[in-house]
Amino acid sequence: MSKNKQNNNEPSPPPASRGFWAEAWLRYRRRKLAMAALLFVVFLSLVAIFSPAIVGTKPIVCKYKGRIYFPAMSYFKAGWENPVFYRDKFRKRFPKNITQKDPESWAVWPLVFQDPYRRVRDGEWKDQPGNPTGAAGKPNRYNLMGTNQAGVDVFAQMVHGTRIALMVGFVATGIAGMIGIVVGSLAGYFGGWVDMFLSRLIEVVMCIPALVLILALLAILESPTIWHLMAVLGATGWTGIARLTRGEFLKLRQLEFTTAARALGGGHMRIMFRHILPNSLAPVLVPITFGIAAAILIESGLSFLGFGPPPPSASWGTLLNAGRSNLQMWWLIVFPGMAIFLTVLAYNLVGEGIQESTDPRLREAGK
Amino acid sequence: MFTYLLRRSLIGLITLLLITFVIFGLIRNMPGTPLTIALAEVDPSRQISEEDMKRMERAYGLDKPFPVAYVHWLGNLARFDLGRSISRKQPVTRLIGERIGPTMLLSVTSLGLAYLLSVPLGLYSTARSGKPDERAMSTFLYMLYALPSFVAALLLLVLFAVKLNATAFELPLFGMVGDNHQSLSTWGKMCDVGRHMILPVFCYTYGSLAYFSRFVKSNMQEVVRQDYMRTAKAKGMGPFRVLVHHGFRNTLIPFVTLLGLTLPALLSGSVLLEQIFTWPGMGRLFFESITERDYPTIMGLVLMFSVLTLLGQLLADILYAVVDPRVSYS
Repeated sequence: MSKNKQNNNEPSPPPASRGFWAEAWLRYRRRKLAMAALLFVVFLSLVAIFSPAIVGTKPIVCKYKGRIYFPAMSYFKAGWENPVFYRDKFRKRFPKNITQKDPESWAVWPLVFQDPYRRVRDGEWKDQPGNPTGAAGKPNRYNLMGTNQAGVDVFAQMVHGTRIALMVGFVATGIAGMIGIVVGSLAGYFGGWVDMFLSRLIEVVMCIPALVLILALLAILESPTIWHLMAVLGATGWTGIARLTRGEFLKLRQLEFTTAARALGGGHMRIMFRHILPNSLAPVLVPITFGIAAAILIESGLSFLGFGPPPPSASWGTLLNAGRSNLQMWWLIVFPGMAIFLTVLAYNLVGEGIQESTDPRLREAGK
Repeated sequence: MFTYLLRRSLIGLITLLLITFVIFGLIRNMPGTPLTIALAEVDPSRQISEEDMKRMERAYGLDKPFPVAYVHWLGNLARFDLGRSISRKQPVTRLIGERIGPTMLLSVTSLGLAYLLSVPLGLYSTARSGKPDERAMSTFLYMLYALPSFVAALLLLVLFAVKLNATAFELPLFGMVGDNHQSLSTWGKMCDVGRHMILPVFCYTYGSLAYFSRFVKSNMQEVVRQDYMRTAKAKGMGPFRVLVHHGFRNTLIPFVTLLGLTLPALLSGSVLLEQIFTWPGMGRLFFESITERDYPTIMGLVLMFSVLTLLGQLLADILYAVVDPRVSYS
């Protein structure tokens, strides 16, 4: 530093070279397939966030009796619906009620008027006919992906199911990542007895068939919600991450910078989480990305077996389950099946992209 | 080597004890017992009296707290007795024996197919690395790998059992044998089972095929850069011989360890696939025993799966030492 100041007339030093993550991002951007997958994930997140605005039966924004409301927000959480609509006995039929009860009102409606939880009846919306039920519910103008046995629109369920799928992926893997990183770093950093004990723990959880563990934990909860399911998926899916973190820590704690940090008086916690963890984050990020795909897969598998979130919330797996008993209704299988497939594929591609853009060994081999 | 084996076995034994104890505690704490679950199915008019229920609980050892029952179970295990299934009134070993055949029929066929096809596929894609046909094939295999098997199973069912219904390509919807199985000749019986096997085997195979061929290719890619490959080529050896004799042989080490890790998959079956195809295998037995709260059967199956998983890991490590003289455990 001081040297630079002395030689002020010298040409300024070259700009700081890019950091590790900037470099990795640059490499990642060069991979077309990985970029496409990332864009797809972004697209899915947008669909999930704007799901009530894409398809629903409640106005996105409306002015009712002189006040502005956002009834569509109740798709995110039932409690967010303004009590005024209960008091005025809307009974979830907005289009007619809102004009009848307040002629002055206006409303902005979702792109498609369909509901993920109930069948839309005849005359609810302008000249849209009621949803067909059973095998008659083929994809048509009003039901882009058909309807299920009870006449509930599949497109609406798919769009609102995106929210469940992505949330399960992120929350479950977030929990798994936290447990995995903590267990793995403790085992790798301290070694000895701690390592011996934690490694057995990892082995035990790995050996227990995931289905027993998940079903047993869900059964103990008695009335599991989607959040319980995410917590259980997180509590069972951390072993791979823990093993990898342990391996990285075993390697990195031998290196000079760790010794230097210790010599400077850094405590165990500080060395583990400020010095070693950031350096082992890139390889740990890879199984986390794959973990998101795995969590989505397990959730749809569980819903398919009938152990998914309770009825009102429809996930992609629930649709598949309905399709299994009605094989003639191919649209109940093809659309959710493809959605699960594409989502899993996209996360796998993103994971691989991260792996290849951050792993120095693969970097040499590639471009 | 001997001390290594001894040490690993001891650790494995402790792990096994831990696993079975945890599972035992978990399933005993699931709401409902095998008796109440079975009761929920029969009509309410035939209720069992309180005393009878107590008596039955005592007979099945359900009245004791689970640590005591666990020790009891261990004691029986030491005498090679896995107990009797509560919901099916049969010894657990016989139940497993009945179900192991159908599962192995699927898993052995599909693993065999996957190994047989993945090696040529992997070698082919190494030889034509970067060419358009190789890229197309690799992309296709990669996509197959991400396709969940139960989605594929449902799609295939829609195609073969519904859309192609009443044509020559129609394939049976579920089960292992057709309705007229008993009346068929031996050859006819085999054909019948074979026709029922096509879809499940396909669903079992394609994922591992995609995984194995990628595995072969990525290992080969490291080998083809080695000096001895260039030397072999410089000596005027044909490309096929270079690839197989000098290249592939050197990738066998990781391939062999993969073999050990697939051991549990041979016997565990797949819950989802067996459920879809109503295949009378281990996966279905497992699923049914969980929903019926059939404690002895769940414990028997869990014990078998964990022993196989641990054995598979041990086998992989030992095979590693056998095929690679640089590795030794003494």
